[in-house]
Amino acid sequence: MDAGLTAIGAGLAVGLAAIGTGLAQARIGSAGAGVIAEKPEALGSIILLVAIPETMVILGFAVAAMVLLLGG
Amino acid sequence: MNVEMLPIEIIGLKRDLQNILHALRKLGCVHIEELVETQEISARPLTLDREMLQEQEELGFLAARLQGLLDNLGGASHRLDITLEQDYRLQARQGVETLLPKVQTLINRSEKLKSELASLPRYEASLRALLPIIPQSARLPGNRSIGVLVSREHVGVLEAVAKHILDLTAGRAELVARDVDKSTRAMLIVFPVEFTQEIESLLGREDVSRLRLPTELEDGPPDVILASLHRRMAAIPDELEIVEAMQAELAAEWCQKLAAWRDALQDELEASSVLSCLGETDLTFVLVGWIPAKEFSQVQQSLQEQVGETILVRQIPLTSTLRKRVPIILRNPQPAKPFESLVNLLALPRYGHLDPTRLMALFLPIFFGMILGDVGYGLLLLLISLGLTRKLNSGVARDVLIILAIGAGWSILFGFLYGEAFGTLGEQLGMHALWFERASAEHLAGLLVMTLAVGAIHLTLGLILGVWEAYKEKNRTHLLDRGGMLVGLMGLFLIVAVLTDFLPSSLMTPAIALLILGIVLMGASLGWLGILMGPIEFIGLIGNILSYLRIAAIGLASVYLAKVANDIAGMAGNLIVGIIIALLIHALNLVLGAFSPTIHSLRLHYVEFFRKFYESGGRPYQPFKSRIPLDQGL
Repeated sequence: MDAGLTAIGAGLAVGLAAIGTGLAQARIGSAGAGVIAEKPEALGSIILLVAIPETMVILGFAVAAMVLLLGG
Repeated sequence: MNVEMLPIEIIGLKRDLQNILHALRKLGCVHIEELVETQEISARPLTLDREMLQEQEELGFLAARLQGLLDNLGGASHRLDITLEQDYRLQARQGVETLLPKVQTLINRSEKLKSELASLPRYEASLRALLPIIPQSARLPGNRSIGVLVSREHVGVLEAVAKHILDLTAGRAELVARDVDKSTRAMLIVFPVEFTQEIESLLGREDVSRLRLPTELEDGPPDVILASLHRRMAAIPDELEIVEAMQAELAAEWCQKLAAWRDALQDELEASSVLSCLGETDLTFVLVGWIPAKEFSQVQQSLQEQVGETILVRQIPLTSTLRKRVPIILRNPQPAKPFESLVNLLALPRYGHLDPTRLMALFLPIFFGMILGDVGYGLLLLLISLGLTRKLNSGVARDVLIILAIGAGWSILFGFLYGEAFGTLGEQLGMHALWFERASAEHLAGLLVMTLAVGAIHLTLGLILGVWEAYKEKNRTHLLDRGGMLVGLMGLFLIVAVLTDFLPSSLMTPAIALLILGIVLMGASLGWLGILMGPIEFIGLIGNILSYLRIAAIGLASVYLAKVANDIAGMAGNLIVGIIIALLIHALNLVLGAFSPTIHSLRLHYVEFFRKFYESGGRPYQPFKSRIPLDQGL
C-alpha cells in the first residue's frame, strides 16, 4: 500500500510538472515559431526560451527521485 | 578567441574610387562600415551622381530580365567555368534581346496548348449530350448547326426562340430539344447557312448562350465536331512535347551563360551598394572599415600599388564607441570549429570577450555521452553521422553531424562505463558495467549525485570565468554578482560536505558565513533591491545546478525505452514479430537519442553555463568581396 502511494506520488510529481512545462512550452513555441518566420537569426534565442520551462519537469523529476529514494 | 581587428580609414581621390573598390573586392578582407555610424570621421555621406544611379538601375533591370529568362528556361542545373569578357554587359543585353522573343513565343504556345488540353474535355460532355438528337438535315450541305444549352427553369425561353427561328426561316429550320440532365435542356438548331447572321443576333438578343467551340475544331454537326475534338486532344501532347524540346534546346544553349551574366551583374550591384556607406569631400572619398590586424600591411601595400601615392590607408584609434561595433571573427582550432555554429546560433561574443567555443567543444560531447551512454546506439550514431558527413562539404548541417559523431564517441565510452548496449541487451549478452549500472535502483542516488556534481563543476567554472571577465572589463556590478554567486556556492559546497561527513563539523560556521557573504555580495550588486533579490538569485543558482539532473533523467528515459523494446520482443512469442517490434522501438529510441541529448546539452550551455560569463552581442564580420573570381578580366 505504502509502496503504491509512494509510486503514485512520484508519478504525480513528474506528471504534473510535465503538464506545466508542456503548457508553457506550447505558448512559447507558437510565439517563437512566428518570430523565426520573421527573423530566422533569432533561432538560438528561441531555443533558449523554449528550453527555460524544462527546469520545472526536471525539478519534478528531482522531487520524484527523492520521494522514491527517501519514502520508498 | 576573437581575431584582433583594426579600424581603418582609406582616403583617396574620387577618380580612383572604382579602382580602389575593385582592389578591395579582390583582397576580400575589409569589412566596410557605414560612415554615418562612425562619428570619429568628419566627412559628408557620398552622393551618387545621376549617371551612376541610372547605370545601377539599368544593371538591376538587366539582372532581373536574366533571372526571369533563367526561371522560364528552368535555371542552370550545373555551373560551368565560363570566362566572362570585359564587355559582358553588352553581350548580356544582346543575349536578352535575342532570346526573349523566342522564349516568349514558346511560353505562349505552351500555355495555350495546356489550357486547350484542360478545356477540351468540358466541350466533350456537352457535345455528347447533343449526339442523340442530331436530325438528318444537319448533314445536308448548305445547312448549319448551333447547339444551345439552357437551364430547365428557363425552358420557356427556348420555346419562344424556336418560334422566332421558324418564323425567320419560313419553316426551313429544324429544331430538336432534349433534357441533358435534371437541370439542363439542350437544343440543336439546324438552319440554312444564309440565316446565320440573323439567328446569331436573335440568340444574342434573347440572351441565350450557345455552345461556343474552339476555332481549332471543325465546323459541322456535333458528331463531326466530337471526332475533330478527339483528334485534337490526341495531337496536343505531341505538340507540347515539341515545344518543351525546343525550350530544353534553348536552355542547354543559353542557361550557363545567362547564369554567369546574372551572377556577375549581381556582384557588381552588391559592390556598388557599398557606395552609400562611404563619405566624401570635394575631391576625395573616405572609406571606414575593419580589417584583421595581420592583413593591414598587405592591404596598405596593395592599394598603394594600385593607385600610387594618392591614397592614404591608416589605422584610426579604437574608441569606446567604435569598440562596440567591432565585427567578430572567431578563431578556434580545427576540432572546435564545428561548435562555432552552435555559438553563432545563440549570438556572437562581444569583441575582446571570451569565446566559449572551445569550452563547448569540451563539455557538450561529454554531456551528450553521459545522457545517451550506450555502446549500441553510440556506434550506430557514429556510423550514420560519419556517413552523412561525407556527403556534405560545409554548412551548419555538417557541423551538427560532426558534433553528433564526437558525442557518439563519448556515448560509446559511457556505454562501457554504464554497461549498456541497446539498453539492457548488452547485459543479457554478458556485458558488465565498468563503473555502475545507472538503470538499477540501488545506483539511482549515485547517478543523481554524479550529475549534480557535474553541474556544480560546470557552473563553478562558468562563475570563475565570469569573475575574470568582470575584472577585465572593470564592471563592478558583474564582479559583485558573479563573485557573490561563487562565494555563496563555495559556502554551499562546504555545508554539503560537512553534512555528509566529508569535512569536520567545525567548518559549518565558516561555511554558513561564506554562504551569507555570497548572498550579501549578490544583493549588493543590485542596490536596495538586493535585500530581496540576493536570496532569490541564489535559489535560482541552486535551480541551475538541479537542472543538470536532466543528464540523469533523459538518460534513464532512454534506457527504459530500450528495456521496453527488449522485454516486449521477448514476450512476443514469435521470433520474427519480436525482432520487428524491438527494431521499431529501438529505431524510435535512436532518433530520440540523437535529438534529445543534443538539445538538452545545448540548453545546459546556453541557459545555465553561458549566463555566468558570456557577453554576447558581437557583429558578424562581412568582408567586402566578390562572389565570383575577379581574375577573369572584369
